[in-house]
Amino acid sequence: MKKKKTAKRKPSILPPKPSLPPMSLSFEGTQASKTGTWRYLTPMYLNKIAPCNEACPAGEDVEAAMVLAGEENYLGAWEKITEENPLPRVCGRVCFHPCEPACNRKEFDEPTAINALERFTGDRAFEAGRRFHAPKEKKKERVAIIGSGPAGLSCAYHLSSMGYATTLFEAQPKLGGVLRYGIPAYRLPKDLLDREIENILSLGVEAKTGVRVGRDLAWEDLKKYDAIFVAAGAWKSQPLKIPGEDAAGVMSGLEFLKRINSGQAVDLGQRVAVIGGGNTAMDAARTALRLGAKTWIVYRRTKEEMPAWEEEVFEAEEENIETIFLSSPVKILTEQGKVKGVECIKNLLGPPGKDGRKEPRPVEGSNFTLQVDTVISAIGESPDLSFLPQDLRKTMGALPVDETGSTALRGVFGGGDITAQPRTVAFAIGSGKKAAMAIDAFLRGQDVAQALRVARVGDKGTLSMARYRKGSADGLAQEVVKFADLNPAYFKRQKRMPREKLSPSRRTSDFSEVNLRLSEGAALYEAKRCFNCGVCNLCHNCFLYCPDLAVSARPDKQGYDINYDYCKGCCICVEECPRGAISVEVRK
Amino acid sequence: MKKLMTGNIAVSYGVMLSRAEVISAYPITPQTTIVEELSEMCSDGRCKAKFIRVESEHSAMACVAAASATGVRVFTATSSHGLAYMHEMLHWTAGTRLPVVMVNANRAIGSPWNIWCDQGDSLSQRDTGWLQLYCESAQEALDTVIQAYRIAEAVLLPVMVLVDGFFLSHTSEPVDVPDQKAVDRFLPPYRAQYKLDPADPHTFNIMADPSIFIAFKQDAQKSMEAAKKVAARVDREFKAQFGRGYGLLEKVRCADADVILLTMGTAASTAREVIEEYRKKGKKVGLCRLRMFRPFPSRELVKVLSGAKKVAVLDRDNSLGAGGILAQEVKAAFYGGASKPKVFEFVAGLGGKDITPETIGDVIEHTLNNASPGGESIWMGVQE
Repeated sequence: MKKKKTAKRKPSILPPKPSLPPMSLSFEGTQASKTGTWRYLTPMYLNKIAPCNEACPAGEDVEAAMVLAGEENYLGAWEKITEENPLPRVCGRVCFHPCEPACNRKEFDEPTAINALERFTGDRAFEAGRRFHAPKEKKKERVAIIGSGPAGLSCAYHLSSMGYATTLFEAQPKLGGVLRYGIPAYRLPKDLLDREIENILSLGVEAKTGVRVGRDLAWEDLKKYDAIFVAAGAWKSQPLKIPGEDAAGVMSGLEFLKRINSGQAVDLGQRVAVIGGGNTAMDAARTALRLGAKTWIVYRRTKEEMPAWEEEVFEAEEENIETIFLSSPVKILTEQGKVKGVECIKNLLGPPGKDGRKEPRPVEGSNFTLQVDTVISAIGESPDLSFLPQDLRKTMGALPVDETGSTALRGVFGGGDITAQPRTVAFAIGSGKKAAMAIDAFLRGQDVAQALRVARVGDKGTLSMARYRKGSADGLAQEVVKFADLNPAYFKRQKRMPREKLSPSRRTSDFSEVNLRLSEGAALYEAKRCFNCGVCNLCHNCFLYCPDLAVSARPDKQGYDINYDYCKGCCICVEECPRGAISVEVRK
Repeated sequence: MKKLMTGNIAVSYGVMLSRAEVISAYPITPQTTIVEELSEMCSDGRCKAKFIRVESEHSAMACVAAASATGVRVFTATSSHGLAYMHEMLHWTAGTRLPVVMVNANRAIGSPWNIWCDQGDSLSQRDTGWLQLYCESAQEALDTVIQAYRIAEAVLLPVMVLVDGFFLSHTSEPVDVPDQKAVDRFLPPYRAQYKLDPADPHTFNIMADPSIFIAFKQDAQKSMEAAKKVAARVDREFKAQFGRGYGLLEKVRCADADVILLTMGTAASTAREVIEEYRKKGKKVGLCRLRMFRPFPSRELVKVLSGAKKVAVLDRDNSLGAGGILAQEVKAAFYGGASKPKVFEFVAGLGGKDITPETIGDVIEHTLNNASPGGESIWMGVQE
């Protein structure tokens, strides 16, 4: 006779009798009652996008890097950053960090010091000897990259990491583009830039310097490459269009910076006027100051309209550079073909013009003269498209590209300042990465737009290489976490660590780096200030608050599981999640 | 060994000797010194119980009820408003058939604000399913706590032991503290038939639908009825072992009495003296002290009182709109019976007012001098 299987569970103290026990009592545990059937709201763990990630034009996973840095895993944080951006030491110094104004923490006290932390982790990883590793598998396709600025370097890095053979064509004697020739050393030390570039080249990137396409090499010569990325920047200065502009002692801001950054001597005389209110103007003025000249900035609108980054304007003020607002140059005064001054006219602001900014209107008879030896004009730069084939020169001012960075020519992509996008290092790096993805998809014969869609991070055009490599958007949300999605009851107010700087008197005598590095203690403090918006960091609140014990921590420490047999859908977990990492699905 | 101690301290010793394993309470006058002493005992190791501090009496009762459901012996104490605050949990505890023992130091319930003794607090909880045992002395309080665990664990109903606030809780007398080993022989460890145990999961207090709810209530009623016999047997066994017994009620010169004074708690001590005075004067007056109020021992009480012509019920409580609670129960007990003594109802000693020999003298005089009760309670000592 077949023996009946005995239940593993210890039998009850008393087996159920036909008569009732004295108290109302079940002979099974509460598991028998599957309260999950009551549920019409279903909480689900779904990591979302932190606003800093969406706001980073380079597409860094800032939030994930913060988690790692908060665990004192600075090298891990560097690896996380360099999945997206090969230049954290550069960006940690020169990026104007749109991530920080996006930081949800600003609604609570002050944004997390993301930029300073990026620099800290970059420097820390470099000092620890961390370098990029060339991929083992090489692909046969070759890609030509015109321009070795942040866009070109970024594109070369990502393509090389994927195994493509890449060649950088650089017109200047050294690599780096605007990083080397535009940005002054007090913001980005050049030896540091050399180390960053060396690291990228170590992936097997070929570099041809002193080769200007259109001069030393014909466009046609590039046709042997399987794809071309055009990132030649915007180096053509706009003329002032006033009398005397061709006098000796008048130069463009970019030209001036390029010469100084190349180590050439420039005779500025005693007094310098810098015309313009953008970043190039600030850089030129502060550089002129460091060369010993008394420097003025002449700007046609007011401080509020200045296109330069606030931090740069502030630092120029700190250095006692006087800005003459609401003034435009009308004439360069010369003596024997040499500048001796600039005549300006005062403006009043009129109604907003086509670009939305208030139009300056000259006030008749308000002319005044500034006695200067040098006039540096920095009123805007435009790209030089002359080397490009006719098909790519159809619009004036910028190389036209679609949202994938593709140009009108098959296999030709564009990015950086040569295209119409915000002229920042971070945008350039992002566009180089985007081009790398697009070129990869193109060379694989895939639909480029489709392939890039997977890599999207939010709605601002930010792309993630990690998502691109994953090749699927499964389980990845596009929802960006707002401050209102957080539960601030779980955070305490903590002041942001101020960024240490050299004092104005110490920093203006030479080109020493103005900003100093965070201490390790300050870096850790800042990393821990991060709310980790939208991403589960195993804080345990959901587990602790679930009244049905339906939440359990996964043994692999990769989050939590919800037992939907018992989850009644009260969504207390959703409410108590400090960081909005749990979503609710309504089921009828 | 005899020690001088207050009623409250005697209670603490009773709990310690009963080897309570979980104690949870919230302080309230005049109960506080019970759990104060117990917390000392827990702190210095004399008592092995886990002492759980809580933020309210409602939680205290919930706490000991849950602990009791895991099969351990538990204790709590309260008074007056604390007891009222527990009201909901009193029902739950009794309904779950948990043998919880609680001491309530009787104190009037406001308003007006008052911290002194009367029995209105516990008597107003008479329908919650708890046994109620009213004590007269510190010795009886200690002994009754030990007995209470035996009774509660036998019938699976909670027991409330009552001590008059201040008159008993805070006055000292010599108390014979039994030997632990002797108590252990009398009171073996509690073995729960059903208990909360993760290894053998049960849900307590599951929904009982209309088809079976009544069955649980009837079972509890039967257990309440059985508790009279159980309590009597436990008291007899206690007397056999310790030489002290109290019965469900106590009779003093009742056999030939024409008038029997019926009361509960410490007023009986004063009444004993007064009865003797009347006996000396040749008046056939007796005293019956009711110790068990729930379950109400109607049969036993009728048997004692039916020989008398008149019964004077002295209530230290009042049910507004009905009169003294004890008096109502006594009258109901006689309904339908052959012998019906006249029941005189007196309300006295509310809010801590002394029940003096003169008060009791006036009660007896009134009963002796009037042929029949007027139909309403007579309120003693009300300031005009």
